Amino acid sequence: MVSEIWTEKFRPVEFSELVGQEEIVKRVESLVNSLNIPHLLFAGPAGTGKSTLALITVKTLFRENWKENYLELNASDERGINVVREKVKNFARTKSLGKVPFKIIFLDEADALTPEAQQALRRTMENYSNTCRFILSCNYSSKIIDPIQSRCAIFRFKLLEKKDIEKVIKKIVEREKLSVAPTVMEMLYEGSEGDCRRAINILQSTASVSPNITLELLSTMISATMPKDIKIVLDYALSGDFHQAREKLLDIMLKQSISGQEVIKAVQKEIWNLPVEPDIKVKLTEKTGEVEFRIVEGSDPFIQLQALLASFVLAGLGKE
Amino acid sequence: MISDLKCSSWAEKYRPKKFEDIKGQDEAIKKIKNFVGDFHLGKLTRGKKKALVFHGPPGTGKTTLAHVVANETRCEIFELNASDLRNKFKMQEILKPAIEQKSLTKKGKIILVDEVDGISGYYDKGGISELLSLIEETKYPIIITANDIWKKILSPLRKKAELVQIKEIPYSAIKDLMIEILRSENKILDSNAVVKITINANGDLRAAINDLQTAADLEDLSETEFSERNKETDIFNALKKIFKNKASEEMLGIFDSVNLSLDEIMLWIEENIPYEYKGEELAKAYNRLSRADIFKGRIYKQQYWRFLVYENILLSYGISASKQNPRQGFTNYKKPTRILKIWLSNQKNFKKKSISQKYAHYVHIGEKRAMSEFPLIRNIIKSNEKIQKELKLTDEEIEYLHGEFSLY
Repeated sequence: MVSEIWTEKFRPVEFSELVGQEEIVKRVESLVNSLNIPHLLFAGPAGTGKSTLALITVKTLFRENWKENYLELNASDERGINVVREKVKNFARTKSLGKVPFKIIFLDEADALTPEAQQALRRTMENYSNTCRFILSCNYSSKIIDPIQSRCAIFRFKLLEKKDIEKVIKKIVEREKLSVAPTVMEMLYEGSEGDCRRAINILQSTASVSPNITLELLSTMISATMPKDIKIVLDYALSGDFHQAREKLLDIMLKQSISGQEVIKAVQKEIWNLPVEPDIKVKLTEKTGEVEFRIVEGSDPFIQLQALLASFVLAGLGKE
Repeated sequence: MISDLKCSSWAEKYRPKKFEDIKGQDEAIKKIKNFVGDFHLGKLTRGKKKALVFHGPPGTGKTTLAHVVANETRCEIFELNASDLRNKFKMQEILKPAIEQKSLTKKGKIILVDEVDGISGYYDKGGISELLSLIEETKYPIIITANDIWKKILSPLRKKAELVQIKEIPYSAIKDLMIEILRSENKILDSNAVVKITINANGDLRAAINDLQTAADLEDLSETEFSERNKETDIFNALKKIFKNKASEEMLGIFDSVNLSLDEIMLWIEENIPYEYKGEELAKAYNRLSRADIFKGRIYKQQYWRFLVYENILLSYGISASKQNPRQGFTNYKKPTRILKIWLSNQKNFKKKSISQKYAHYVHIGEKRAMSEFPLIRNIIKSNEKIQKELKLTDEEIEYLHGEFSLY
């Protein structure tokens, strides 16, 4: 059955259909043709084709039996390494079907595992190395411990270029019989931030309103997906009302269910619209960057965001 | 009766025997009397709770009160302590006579289980379930004492038993009692010393009486140093010290006496900084809190527990030293509500979660990512029944998609 969800419907099923990442595709394809692959580590930003390449690899290797020989796990969903281990154990127990002597486990967002969990994963990879190959994906390979990196062939995915995303979108526009205004592509690429999945989702979401995609419609759709009302929070903070700023921020984050990192992104953009001196804008941007860094390092994004709000309060007082 | 004997410990000697001897616990006594009516002479009424829990800080008279109840209802008391619960055999050995023999002089029996929060969550899980089944099966009323009834491990007990809060004894009541005891012992003590003892006791009457006896027995008072009792400070006191006082090294240990985890304490501090600090102090304090959180993150990620030292210093001394001058006055510290709000919001959005889950697995992405892209995803699914079928959404989930909110 063909899916109605465009990210699935138009997901490439053969190596030749993939856009971008040409070098990587060539190398992986030749590994697959030899019917023997090492463990693979796909590193790179979201929406650049990591899962798709993993799926194509599996489908090419196993053909119609791919589902029996493939296990997909998402490290950020599975509660703890023990769940991962248990699932791997059950899956790896039976021998692979067909002419390929191993099965494939795709562990998505492997960088969500703590270093300790990764150590355990490494043991698991070793224990089942004659029956299973692992394909790990992550955003940052630096977050994967060295022993795992050294056991994998590493492939670094680049952000998709404008022409790549354009190619994908054009194909969909044609097949779905949409009409698009000339500059729509530009805005769609901007809105996607190089994430192909996001570009397709924005397109389908807009098309669900009307197949006639105008610039206006698209822009409404994109801004509707951005965190709203961040400006209100910053205005409260600049006026010295920390309590209101904090309460509003939590309210926004819960109602719109947005993460600390998304808030930071919105704050950084919003600084340009604030009624403060250029020098202050620079300082606040610097502070925002520092807080983004701390969110990655720390454990509780909301605490970091409060620290940021406190610096906005200070800026509002004309200090720092 | 005992006061006729030469009793060495004043704390024993002046232990109250009757309800009216007990100071500062009127509310608790009222509640107890009510309950006692139900089990007068050791008989239990059907459908009523069979156990009372006296909970409160040390030295406020929980065990004493239990004995007074027995005395006033003319019951015998059978004491068990927490460790007996673990040893089923020993417990039965103690309880057997209590349950089988008829007392000759008195008519009823009360079982006292003292200091139940001595049961540790890790090692004696069985202790609590043993206690629960004891409550289930008992023919006699049970009185349980505990310092902290809100410990997680005691939560099943909270449902089975009637709770009676025993409050800290007020300063004035302790002081009056001190003077009364000195009078009947024919001892003289400098009134400053009495005040000092009373303050140091922090509501712990037993501690106060013990200190008083020590002081009165000593000739030379100047040599007596009453170290402040290392008593459980509640979080409000800890916050007060940190926010109001000048930063001092004593603060480094302040959280040891607070009966909350450091994570919980962090939430309390986070919540209350803006109620004390403004402007530069606010920014400084939050910056230190932020640093503490980073160390917490590193502890979690690297399992390097020495970072705890830095987290603790930043949270106590660091937050305290963020102000320029010590301050006075009363601040109404607020309970942290953020976690509750998050929980409530999750409850409200559990359909969003279940939809995101189905979608995420279907299109090979993580659930968290699906959640964060929900506005787009919702739009796509909402208007397309085929997709709803593909994802096997339930009617409720589809209804949720069409729900009240705008794009969110």
